[in-house]
Amino acid sequence: MSDQRSSNVNDNATAPVVELRGIKRSFGGLQALSGVSMTLRRGEIVGLLGENGAGKSTLVKILTGVLEPDGGQILVDGDIRRVSNPRVARELGIAATYQEPAVFPDLDVAENLFAGRQPTRRGIIDWGAMYEKAEEVFREIGVDLDPHAPVYQLGIADRQIIEIAKSLISGARVLILDEPTSVLSSREVDSLFILLNSLRERGISLVFVSHKLDEVKAITDRVVVLRDGTLVAEKPTSDVSVSELVQMMCGRAIGDLYPSLTRVAGDTILEVQNLTRRGYFQNVSFTLRRGEILGLAGLVGAGRTELAEAIFGVSLADSGSMSLDGIPYTAVSPRHAVRVGIAYLPEDRLTNGLVMGMRVPFNMTMTVWGRIANRFGRFRTRIMYRQSAELAQRVQLQAGRLNQLTSSLSGGNQQKVVLGKWLATEPRILILDEPTHGIDVGTKAEVLGIVAELAATGVAVIFISSELEEVRAMSTRLLVMREGSIVAEFTTPVDAHVVLEAASGVVAKQDS
Amino acid sequence: MARVRQLVLSWEAGLVVLTVLIVIIGQSADHDLISSFNLQTTALNNVILLCLALGVAPVIMTGDIDLSVVGTLALSGVVMGDLMSHGMATGLAIAIGLGIALVCGLINGLLVVLFDLPALAVTLGTMGAYTGISFLILGGLAITTFPNSVVSLGSSNLTGTQIPFCVVVVLVIAVIMAYLVHFTTWGKSLFAVGGSRKAALFSGIAVNRVRIITFVISGFLAGFAGLLFLGNYETAQAGMGASELLPAITAVILGGVSAYGGTGTIPGVVIAAVLLALLQSALGLHGFSGQGQTMAVGFLLIIAIGAPPLARSARDWWRRRHAGVVEIASAVTGESKGGSAGSGEAVRSTAVN
Amino acid sequence: MSTSELISDVASRPARRGRVSTLVRRSDTALIALIVLITLVATATLSDFRTLSNINNLLNTTALIAIVAIGEAVVILARQIDLSVGAILGICAYLVGSWSGHVSGPFGPVVGVLLALGLGAAFGLGNALLINVFKMPAIIATLATLSIYTGLQIIVNNGSQLYLTQVPKWLAGLRGNAWFGIGTFIWIAAIVLVVVTFILRRTRFGRDIYALGSNPDAAVYLGVKIRVRTYQIFALCGALAGLGGLLYTSQFGNVDATAGNGMNLTVIAAAVVGGVSLFGGAGTALSAVLGALLLGEIQNILELTRISIFAEQTLQGAAIVIAVAVYAVVSRRLRRPVRREAFLSEHPTIDPAAIDAIGGTTNG
Repeated sequence: MSDQRSSNVNDNATAPVVELRGIKRSFGGLQALSGVSMTLRRGEIVGLLGENGAGKSTLVKILTGVLEPDGGQILVDGDIRRVSNPRVARELGIAATYQEPAVFPDLDVAENLFAGRQPTRRGIIDWGAMYEKAEEVFREIGVDLDPHAPVYQLGIADRQIIEIAKSLISGARVLILDEPTSVLSSREVDSLFILLNSLRERGISLVFVSHKLDEVKAITDRVVVLRDGTLVAEKPTSDVSVSELVQMMCGRAIGDLYPSLTRVAGDTILEVQNLTRRGYFQNVSFTLRRGEILGLAGLVGAGRTELAEAIFGVSLADSGSMSLDGIPYTAVSPRHAVRVGIAYLPEDRLTNGLVMGMRVPFNMTMTVWGRIANRFGRFRTRIMYRQSAELAQRVQLQAGRLNQLTSSLSGGNQQKVVLGKWLATEPRILILDEPTHGIDVGTKAEVLGIVAELAATGVAVIFISSELEEVRAMSTRLLVMREGSIVAEFTTPVDAHVVLEAASGVVAKQDS
Repeated sequence: MARVRQLVLSWEAGLVVLTVLIVIIGQSADHDLISSFNLQTTALNNVILLCLALGVAPVIMTGDIDLSVVGTLALSGVVMGDLMSHGMATGLAIAIGLGIALVCGLINGLLVVLFDLPALAVTLGTMGAYTGISFLILGGLAITTFPNSVVSLGSSNLTGTQIPFCVVVVLVIAVIMAYLVHFTTWGKSLFAVGGSRKAALFSGIAVNRVRIITFVISGFLAGFAGLLFLGNYETAQAGMGASELLPAITAVILGGVSAYGGTGTIPGVVIAAVLLALLQSALGLHGFSGQGQTMAVGFLLIIAIGAPPLARSARDWWRRRHAGVVEIASAVTGESKGGSAGSGEAVRSTAVN
Repeated sequence: MSTSELISDVASRPARRGRVSTLVRRSDTALIALIVLITLVATATLSDFRTLSNINNLLNTTALIAIVAIGEAVVILARQIDLSVGAILGICAYLVGSWSGHVSGPFGPVVGVLLALGLGAAFGLGNALLINVFKMPAIIATLATLSIYTGLQIIVNNGSQLYLTQVPKWLAGLRGNAWFGIGTFIWIAAIVLVVVTFILRRTRFGRDIYALGSNPDAAVYLGVKIRVRTYQIFALCGALAGLGGLLYTSQFGNVDATAGNGMNLTVIAAAVVGGVSLFGGAGTALSAVLGALLLGEIQNILELTRISIFAEQTLQGAAIVIAVAVYAVVSRRLRRPVRREAFLSEHPTIDPAAIDAIGGTTNG
């Protein structure tokens, strides 16, 4: 990918558009941000980097008014402002686009651009003017889209462009792009970067939140690195190399958080060959052995969750084959997968992992309700309580939590319930998708310890995580996925920067 | 102690209180409300509604809806009546009628679940289609003579008592349904699927099977309601029972089943049906016409669904005024506050079990 | 290559034109073709179809249904539904018919129409009130109001019916009149079609309806005042139902307490068959009219060929199911945006040799 930065040098005398001073924010006992200060100036692209849990998304939510900080100030054009809700943020000119663009699929492109503010002439909507203005805006920023096209025909890349253009039209001066390229092909990324450059030249202040370091190097003027809620570095992009960035993001050596792993050389239990699902992953082949923890690293959008779902039967692969213990296995449905001994802890705990309206014992045993019933289908509640108590012990869930509403539990305890639910099935293969996402440190250690113990007893574990430190520490073997393919395999221990480079596709050159 | 408290504060307890209130007020206004004759008549008038409600409740619990029950009622009732009037053996005619009802439910299930079509639209359409077929069969005619067995099922009393036989039958059905919903794995699956279809799917529950079965049961009970209708009113005509749709759905919602699925109880539905029956009876004794009673049912539905969120907003408003600034917790979990109909959480906040 | 060069390079390429025909416009042409085809076949083969009285009757009934269906379409476009239109029609039919008899002179028709629209709108507002204030889903709210309004209808009729003789002359004669050779009902339907199409296409209100139907959360986020719009949408639907009631009185003369029963299914079927998606956001007023025409014609033919005069509900019910299924299948096919086109093979930066050098292995 060629260097997309323009040759314009940033004018240091430009006054800041938005300034964050000492922003603090905590959730329960967790300090997400502790005193972050940052400036956004006109006509520059700032890269916001940091691992999962470093505080990037909290910062973005504060900027866009979804959350308010516990401490610190936000200044817009030099005045202290209270950004109390998204509408205020928008009025102040702060906009954001996310991975899933919010568009109106049934309406055409032009109308999406002007939704809520359609140009009118004498009170009635002037479609001619709308199409003209749309074409004008597209010309100005160098985009090639037909304003008459209905949006449902357009792919995600184009929808993203519409969202960006829309925020421009509504007067955004600060545009935050949250992982914009994770769903784009390389050609689409190039187009996006052309657009971002033209926005920069129009004086827009852009925040590029991403894990893809090669892209960050290519498009940003400045990088800001967060780690554990603090700002650890802020430098001009040209002054740092990718490996330095990695170092700043990953920081310390692996701490006591992680359990020691027993390396068991068991026999092969799962063989995946050339598994493909068009649009998500292709030609994925690997083997999984009993007792090993196979880490699956990669950036958001690499296709790991989709791969896991294909193995678990949630979605069907288009081609390829799998075999379990030598016997061919076709993933038909989660129910079938559970029956053959595969368990899957989903990434989205709240939607896919738990039925929030039910109490803990029910969620904890949901996978084995069939066993709790007697011959006539009667649900033996006493047995459920007994089972759930046993499982609670295994996952170290405090007894007092036992008959509560699942929704009243903390994130960590909720995850323990999900884990318990899967332990109940005595799986042969356990797939964990971001298992420590949104969990406090203490519970994290407990969960990881359970996983390690499980592997030691012979269960094959696939450990999907975007947290570099975690996935390296928890795997006996590590696969890296990128844009739908497995691009590297490492035996652990392996250096963080090596993994990150494989995941972001940047080859290890000596500098920059 | 906690369980007693939970029971006392439950929705069902509130319904019982309301029912008792209606009885007291009604009885003092027109002294016939709890006379055995009136109770008998009231019961006879409302068994069909309860039968329908028992079938629709599980469907709504799983997050779907079935508007076609009155169509199935009409169709199977007309078929049974027609066959019987042509001399077919009663048992066989009933079997065929109920079989057709099963098929009606199955069609709904297949369309909604396997084809992934919206339940509202599909059952709106099948309601018309099934009712329409009953018209195609019978046209404008009405059948008014039925075998004794059918009539006695529908109208006569349990030997030696004042209690109508059909009431006993439907109560038995209610007990069976309550058992199925609250004591079997399938029942627990209902609540799981209604609470979060994806989480249930990911947990290995046979979501499609659960949903299709609810539609089949709904169809079957609608057919049975048709049979009761025949005995009760001694009439079979196309489009019969159409007026029972609103009361049946009201009984379900009033009974505590959330319109979005995931919560509710069968006893609640039964109590709600009783409440509705007594309310209509009391109004009738007091001079309200049949349609006036239906209007009251409509109002009750509005109150049943509207009161809890209104009460909650009122309570929130009160709390906010007296507690200073309250953190908007929803922002933390990233929920979106959509205002469109159909989005949003379950109406009830009490848990399932 | 500098940015400006890149931009001019992009701008000089011919603009990518998306397919102009949208799903709905394609279905409009298909429907028109179907209607024309059926008309031709029926005219050629059924002598009863060709008679002036039959055509008149058919057109008048269709016009009435079309007007109410347009109102229902507006509601469905916003991802709501109104099951109470039939009752609103019935009440307005009676009330407008009897009250407008008190206003004599040339203002009669004006007052009558305004009364019908206003009364219908009021009932529509009642629906919206339940949805907004009581937070009821539209399906249940309008199910409740259906019974309440039907009850009101019976009360208002008070056991009797409205007779043709009580209805003012201008109203009674409306059905038979013709302006420039075309029946008044058709004129009225045409006016409603033009007006509503204008509203839907050219006003913020109309575009908000589409936004709400297409993506309610995004619409609210962008500042669409959903509560106000809900009132307006249901008021419009009610008003058109009221207008339909006016026409009903003229069409049938005698209005009793069952007026409008069953109309709900008919208008929803008409809208859905015409291409208004039940998911909201897709469809036009014309869709409702075409759907009403098609269904009305089929109904008429079924009656004339003695297949059954009772086929109406079956036809409408089946039509809804089929239309929903077809629309779901087609739109799912059209709507799948390709997630990613190019993969690793196009990506120039991965160098297997370099990865090997670090000590990892490459797969695939």
